[in-house]
Amino acid sequence: MTMNTLETKMVEPALPARPADAWRHLSIGAMSRAAVLVALVIFGQAIAPSFLSLANIHVILLAVAAIGIMAYGMTLVVITGEIDLSIAGAAILSCVVGGLLIPTGSAVLVIGATLLTGLVVGLANGALVAALGIPSLIVTLGTLGIGRALANIVSGGQALYPEGLNAYLWLGRGQFAGVPVPVVLLVILGAAAVALTRYSTFGPALYATGGNVRAAKLSGINVVAVRVTVFAISGVCAALAGMLESARLSYINPAGFEGMELSVLAVTVLGGAALTGGVGSISGTLTASLIIGIVNNLLNQLGVSIYLQQVVTAVVILAVVLPGIRQREIAK
Amino acid sequence: MSAIQLSSPSASRVIPFLLDLARDPIVWLIALIFVVGAMTSQYYLTTLNLENLMRNVAVIGLLSLGMTVVLLTGRIDLSVAALMIFSIVVGVVVMTEIAPLIGSRWLVRGNTYAGPIVPVILIALTTGAAIGAINGIGVAYFKVASFIMTLVSLTALRGFNYVLTDGHPYYLKAPLYQWIGDSKFAGIPVSFLLFLLVLLVLIGFVNGTVRGGRFYAIGGNEKAALYAGINTRRYVVLAYVISGLCAAIAGIVFTARLKSVDAPLAAGYELTAIAIAVIGGTALSGGIGSPWRTLLGSVAFAAGLNLLAIWGVGTWYQNLAIGIVLIASVGLSKMSRKKSKS
Repeated sequence: MTMNTLETKMVEPALPARPADAWRHLSIGAMSRAAVLVALVIFGQAIAPSFLSLANIHVILLAVAAIGIMAYGMTLVVITGEIDLSIAGAAILSCVVGGLLIPTGSAVLVIGATLLTGLVVGLANGALVAALGIPSLIVTLGTLGIGRALANIVSGGQALYPEGLNAYLWLGRGQFAGVPVPVVLLVILGAAAVALTRYSTFGPALYATGGNVRAAKLSGINVVAVRVTVFAISGVCAALAGMLESARLSYINPAGFEGMELSVLAVTVLGGAALTGGVGSISGTLTASLIIGIVNNLLNQLGVSIYLQQVVTAVVILAVVLPGIRQREIAK
Repeated sequence: MSAIQLSSPSASRVIPFLLDLARDPIVWLIALIFVVGAMTSQYYLTTLNLENLMRNVAVIGLLSLGMTVVLLTGRIDLSVAALMIFSIVVGVVVMTEIAPLIGSRWLVRGNTYAGPIVPVILIALTTGAAIGAINGIGVAYFKVASFIMTLVSLTALRGFNYVLTDGHPYYLKAPLYQWIGDSKFAGIPVSFLLFLLVLLVLIGFVNGTVRGGRFYAIGGNEKAALYAGINTRRYVVLAYVISGLCAAIAGIVFTARLKSVDAPLAAGYELTAIAIAVIGGTALSGGIGSPWRTLLGSVAFAAGLNLLAIWGVGTWYQNLAIGIVLIASVGLSKMSRKKSKS
């Protein structure tokens, strides 16, 4: 994880193909995503004059915050060529474990326990994947079920209410300088994740691990540590996002986040991350979650049923993903 | 791996096959479940429970069989559970729309479908095959990652299920449906016989023909398969069509048992199907696995869950057990494979 200068120097030969090659399809994907985003905003403002009002922007960003934060973690995992299906399980288990400490009346304890549980789930995923070599699809599918099951067993299937924990509730409902706290966190964590992937020594190690494990290993990258780290980050992101949602709704639902893993994965892929590893970016993921958020917001304003929204979301994903793939084909 | 699988089976391979079977951990697992079940519960080996077990195996087994064929090619199909409901919903909705055109009314009081069921079944099978083909074409010709393509289908089909049913369940009333869901033939539930039929056809095709062997070739080394002159795209589409058909048949068996179809049914079954295929030894990376072993996987899975249910273990503890068994079984097989290599 903490790489000394010697290791970083050894990293570089592993990445000859990355900057020029990856940049080409990243930029095409990024351009099509940006174009879609701008078109959506113009379209939105055209059909609904209140679309760009501060209130509606807050609505869009609030709806996107949890999924976006989870998608940051997922993006890091997908860049290393792995997948994390456990996020909904991690989120719900973390919130419930934190929720058990509500009677203590200490928001710090509740928040701490929530994040710690997310970290533990992430580390367990990472250890099983990286150290034992079990495919991440299987491991995280298993821990998804285990997390959900434990959450229900521990809570007895009952919802928990974080009443009176003002600091906890503030995370979901409060404002910071006039901006909803989840949105502030979405931005801060996004900036941190961009810094991590672009400007730290961890970034190249991350892309190298996903691009070519053998080359990464041979150039001295500790791929086990990289993988464990990304799963740990994903677990914590899931716990945090779960906590924001629980605080916003002011109840912890052990049956919550149904199917969240697939929505988050969809956003990640829409953002340009390739499931084969080595490709992806935080900015792409953020743009993608904004696209999905705006599409859903517009469909709500048009009075389209939530079920038809699912269909539209699916079509949007294909529409954005397809041109990038065609382009990559041509580039080859 | 694929080279061995490609050669067609012959009579001389029966004995080694049985020897292999006796060494197979999953066979021992199934035996263990049945022995423990028989010892701890007087109900476990009753006819009623075994029939119940067979009906459970039929549904998840059919889904897993289709999944196995797709996994063999090194791809995945997340749309199976949504498709299994969708195909039946389309069948019912199309027929109720057709009814007024021929001056009839098949949707009677209480959202009960009382029209002819055979066309519903045929439309369901066609829908299954068609959606499978769309998935396959997207993956093979448009090069969309299979995970994404089928995730998109999953999302879209789930949405369509709600839109088409308007969120209300349809009740299906037909003698043929009742027969598929409830009846027995020679003491074995009809639904299980249907599953066995599909299984035999798939074993015959995948393990018995040169064409079927190409699934292994593609999953083992796609480039090599392509250079060997195999039209890999066509076989990938075929794999998805098989998976779609299996999903539709699973839908028929599933809804015949419930005598109704409802949009939220079978949520998450796609993950169960993957789990079963993997427990049966199918590799996610492709080229390894077989329909026959998926049968073992589904029996082990259903028998284990059935035993937990008989013990009165709560649903959540059952789910906990599924998760642990899934990770452990793959972990152990991984370790034993490593050991046999070294």
